[in-house]
Amino acid sequence: MKIIDSDSQGQTEIKAESDMVAVRKIVRERAQTLGFSMTEVTKVVTAASELARNIYRYADKGIMKWYLLRRDSQQGLELEFVDNGPGIDNVELAMSPGFSTAKGLGLGLSGAKRLMDEMELDSRSGQGTRVVIRKWVSNAR
Amino acid sequence: MTVESVSVNKVRNVLLVSVPPDPEDGIISSLQEKILDSMERYHDLQGLIIDISMVDTMDSYFARTIIETAEMVRLMGGLTIVAGMAPSVAITATQLGLTFENLSTALDVDLALDMMLEKKGVGVFGENY
Repeated sequence: MKIIDSDSQGQTEIKAESDMVAVRKIVRERAQTLGFSMTEVTKVVTAASELARNIYRYADKGIMKWYLLRRDSQQGLELEFVDNGPGIDNVELAMSPGFSTAKGLGLGLSGAKRLMDEMELDSRSGQGTRVVIRKWVSNAR
Repeated sequence: MTVESVSVNKVRNVLLVSVPPDPEDGIISSLQEKILDSMERYHDLQGLIIDISMVDTMDSYFARTIIETAEMVRLMGGLTIVAGMAPSVAITATQLGLTFENLSTALDVDLALDMMLEKKGVGVFGENY
């Protein structure tokens, strides 16, 4: 499903506040290139911003990898956020709207999931976190 | 980009703030301080219009800071109106789960000034217009 060539994937570090702007810029460019509508682009960029901020806030540093996807005639974008931070004690609780341990609205994970087509979360306490989100360009355009 | 690049202008009794398209977290939080400082410094300020028409991404941190700022300004006696939210930003904010129940909004700065006049009796034309 992933297109594996050098133009179709990449990664960027998240370790400073300014890296969130870099993440948004990369994701915006990729999403625009794929032909997402303006609203879809905004949704993907916003979801990426939430997940990048989670890394910066809870794990100090991590990376975002991006991949262009193809499934039959459909194209999509996959973003993977990986860190070696404290991990999540209770994944189910962390996914519920309004749950927050740090200063925030508690919308990061649950909000990102609503904005995307697919989301996978892999985390264990003390062993870091990996979040994968995907969005497909809708064909009905 | 520094906070100095964010325009905060006092126009008669209203503080006009223009938010850049993709601000860093630090810029958003120092913008809050700048607004509250202005509220204290100019005693004739009746309110604040935050123009976000250039903003293309508003995540939960950004939204929370705006909502918080509006509440702080309200405690100081001022009215905050958020103007010019793009359709894509409004759709995304709603799906993200953000609620702006206590925040006054307007389609653009022009209409925000009308609203300020209506609610506070002031606008760019000064008091008792």
